[in-house]
Amino acid sequence: MIGLLPWLLSAWLLAIGLYGIVTSRHYVHLIGCLTVVQSSTYVLLLSVGYRWNAGPPIFFDHPPGTPAVDPVVQALVLTDIVVGATVSALLLALALQLHKKKGSLDPEALRPMR
Amino acid sequence: MLPPLPVALPMLVAAVLLSLAHVWPRRVPDTIAIATALGVAAIGVALVLGAADGPITYWFGGWQPHADVVLGIGFMVDQVGAIMVVLIGVLFAGAFLFAWGFFDEVHAVFHVLMLLFMAAMSGFCLTHDLFNLFVWFEVMSVAAFALTAYRLEASSLEAALNFTVTNSLASFFILAGIGLIYSVAGTLDFTALARVVAQTEGDKVIAASFCLLVTGLLIKAAAAPFQLWLVDAHALAPSPVCVIFSGAMVTMGIYGSTKLGWQVFGGDPVIRAGAHAVLLTAGACSVIVGGIMCVTQRHVKRLLAFSTISHAGIMLIGCSLFSAHGEAGVLLYMLGHGLVKGALFMTAGILLATLGGIDELGLRGLGRQIWPAGIAVAAGGLMLAGAPVGLMEHGTRLIESAADAAGQTWITAVMMLGSALTGGAVLRAAGRIFLGVGAVTGDEERAPTEEEQERSDRPLWLMLTPCTALLVLSLLGTSRVDAFAAHAVGPFIGLPQPAAAGYPTPPDYLPWMTVGLALLIAVYDLSRNRLPGRLVRTAGAVFRPLHTVLEAWHSGLVGDYVTWIVVGLALMAGGVTLVSIS
Repeated sequence: MIGLLPWLLSAWLLAIGLYGIVTSRHYVHLIGCLTVVQSSTYVLLLSVGYRWNAGPPIFFDHPPGTPAVDPVVQALVLTDIVVGATVSALLLALALQLHKKKGSLDPEALRPMR
Repeated sequence: MLPPLPVALPMLVAAVLLSLAHVWPRRVPDTIAIATALGVAAIGVALVLGAADGPITYWFGGWQPHADVVLGIGFMVDQVGAIMVVLIGVLFAGAFLFAWGFFDEVHAVFHVLMLLFMAAMSGFCLTHDLFNLFVWFEVMSVAAFALTAYRLEASSLEAALNFTVTNSLASFFILAGIGLIYSVAGTLDFTALARVVAQTEGDKVIAASFCLLVTGLLIKAAAAPFQLWLVDAHALAPSPVCVIFSGAMVTMGIYGSTKLGWQVFGGDPVIRAGAHAVLLTAGACSVIVGGIMCVTQRHVKRLLAFSTISHAGIMLIGCSLFSAHGEAGVLLYMLGHGLVKGALFMTAGILLATLGGIDELGLRGLGRQIWPAGIAVAAGGLMLAGAPVGLMEHGTRLIESAADAAGQTWITAVMMLGSALTGGAVLRAAGRIFLGVGAVTGDEERAPTEEEQERSDRPLWLMLTPCTALLVLSLLGTSRVDAFAAHAVGPFIGLPQPAAAGYPTPPDYLPWMTVGLALLIAVYDLSRNRLPGRLVRTAGAVFRPLHTVLEAWHSGLVGDYVTWIVVGLALMAGGVTLVSIS
């Protein structure tokens, strides 16, 4: 735990990401904003597991008992990054197909069938 | 050895199909997929039987906890989770059979995605680890995103984009919630988390984590005001996929929030009081909004999608009561609704395939040639309306008696209204399409919807077989089913088996009243041309402003959807805070 700053940063990233999604006029920009929102979860998770004066959680050549940051959250972040890459790739592929069909990526211009 | 199989089997089969399907004849992947889904259902039945005396715990890699320190990831199979696996297996088997010959591509990508979808849902139902829950949630979502966009048409692509953006936000919220609760508890196992939550009563960080987790799950469950994405996705995904979306995926959100509500956060009375308030409000709003929107739709799949929102609201109301009776009711309702709604989406698929359209007014009277499908639609409509047969009605009854016991009789009225509106809408569609009644004139006659059709060379009996099978299964409401549900929820909620005595039973005429109301709504809508003009105008003047506002709310713009997600999260946090202060 390392004070208030990472929490504020995480909240800030969440807020600007959401603002970007809400006001976006282009799907590629919107997908970028979605990854900003996701970055806020990385910051949150990493700060939860951080310890001052502790090394990385790799115990190959350290004696047992060496202080290390929490490896669980790092595993969570790693999984999250993989998931994020999948979702972004899928979203960009969808956006590309949509652009081929409609020639535009502005959500206002493309409304689904009513 | 059984617990990991419902996840491992479909994943293994998916991998085999992906690598070998292109050298096999076309129908082999279809057959294998159906057999796999039935296999998962059979494993589910074995798990239900095996968990009769208490949950089965399975630690992956043998990482058993030592002295309350949990390092491994576990599956804990109770009867509630196991019966959900059975439902998933049955629905997927039905959907695969329904989709026989639907997709003609060589690589069986549809089957691979669907099998991954099934594996993820089974894992979601059985897991006992918060982060593992997130992983299954995410796998489930990604498979669903790809399946929505499967046809690569402009409208389904747009729907899939909106679905992906909103549901990815849901998973980010869940992940943030996991981070917050881990920062306090330092563990992710449900049992260990529950221990910490019970010790740190009233902790603000845990309350915040609860808000984020439940918001994420409610987005999946399409509770108001998070329901906006659902309609586009359900209306535009291929019909066999809709069967799963409506029958199982929405239910997963509800199952997840009720599981966390009992098994993780149940020990903190402050959070439980907050959860009661927010789930009840969200549920009641969903029932009303979904019901009203449902009656005003003419696109049959959109109509069914709104009815799913309404019925998911009823389940949420049941969860919010936090009573053993209510939980048993929710369990039966989830099963019944999944089967009935799955069957109804199959009939929508039959309309698309045989009649080449899905617009209720455009298809008026055209359904006479496929009248057996009409019987299925009418039966499904009656069941949604709460006709006193089958699993849904048994569930309704238990939820209503739990609401009575909690002294909140108004809940019964809301549930009746929702059932009557959605059932009435489906019955109206059945009457118009299959009997040809209810002609309309003027502007309304011309369909605003775009051309839609699904492959038409599949025989009617093939599509009707799974539909009928699901409807027959949903009729299994007997007193033994009630006893099973009461027995199953005991370990799920961590309470001794609920005593059946001492609970008020709702009067026998209630279901008939709801069905009557549904029929009245259907008949009113179908005979508008013959009714006195003044009556129709007055009803329209009362109803239209409400409808206009709600229709404008479902704008189809992803920015609006996300705005409402933020509003909903704020309301959720505000609600929990208010309850904890008072």
